[in-house]
Amino acid sequence: MASLTLTIREAVRYRGRSGQISWIAHRISGLAILAFLVIHVWDTANAFFAPNIYAWSLALFKNPFFALGEVGVMAAILYHAMNGIRITILDFKPEWWIYQGRSAIIVWVMFFALFIPIAILMFSGLAAHCGEMAAVGDSCWRLPSLSEFPPSMFE
Amino acid sequence: MATISEKQGISRRSVTIQSNLERNAFMFMRMSGIALLILAVGHMMIQHVLNSSTNLTIQFVAQQWNSWGWKIYDLLLLAFAIPHGINGLRNVLEDYVHNETAVKWINILLAIFVVATLLWAGYAILRFDATPFMD
Repeated sequence: MASLTLTIREAVRYRGRSGQISWIAHRISGLAILAFLVIHVWDTANAFFAPNIYAWSLALFKNPFFALGEVGVMAAILYHAMNGIRITILDFKPEWWIYQGRSAIIVWVMFFALFIPIAILMFSGLAAHCGEMAAVGDSCWRLPSLSEFPPSMFE
Repeated sequence: MATISEKQGISRRSVTIQSNLERNAFMFMRMSGIALLILAVGHMMIQHVLNSSTNLTIQFVAQQWNSWGWKIYDLLLLAFAIPHGINGLRNVLEDYVHNETAVKWINILLAIFVVATLLWAGYAILRFDATPFMD
């Protein structure tokens, strides 16, 4: 615990420039993806083990709170993928370590170039969904209850 | 012969490291990372950009898992993503946990979690039968 506090304090104090920012972003995005992935995998397994619970979770995840999280996961995956490739290349090509700073900036540029249009697409999909729900007198903000998805629905 | 890198003050010396768990974990992170660049980023593009979670239904999932192509894609994604993610968590934890017994227990518990998740979700994908969801 003491070392975690130390890490957080030093992360703010230490002036590691681009490499340090990449290191922090890689860790945080990785942990965020893992948190989502574990829930996602065990939830998706319910398509087999408990289809009604899976159908309920799909409805639940259409709520804008979860949709926002989905955009966040997209950002995390895109950054983690771009930066992961950079790490892998530099691990096997020490001669290119002189390009450390430049490569970190290329990763950020590639990330934003991919993420911004994708985020716009995802948010417009969400807006369309909320519009459709409102048109039938429902709200996309309403959290569906599990009782709306009885086990008998797939029999 | 002076190589370019030597002129720039960086010399490269190759060392042979004996195969061990940590070395294999290091290599696995790089190799699975390359696989996930295609599998995971592809999954995000197909399922979250071309298709959207806002109109995802269990019928859509059933339609995909009615084909072995999608089942194999998702099994591969599962088999690379879970160990990659959990090993990443292990790397992070080992930076902050210095007690050797605790590290040993973290390794054991995380390994059990990986195996349990792969078996549970892998079984679900393999055994999934789409017929009740198709009209």
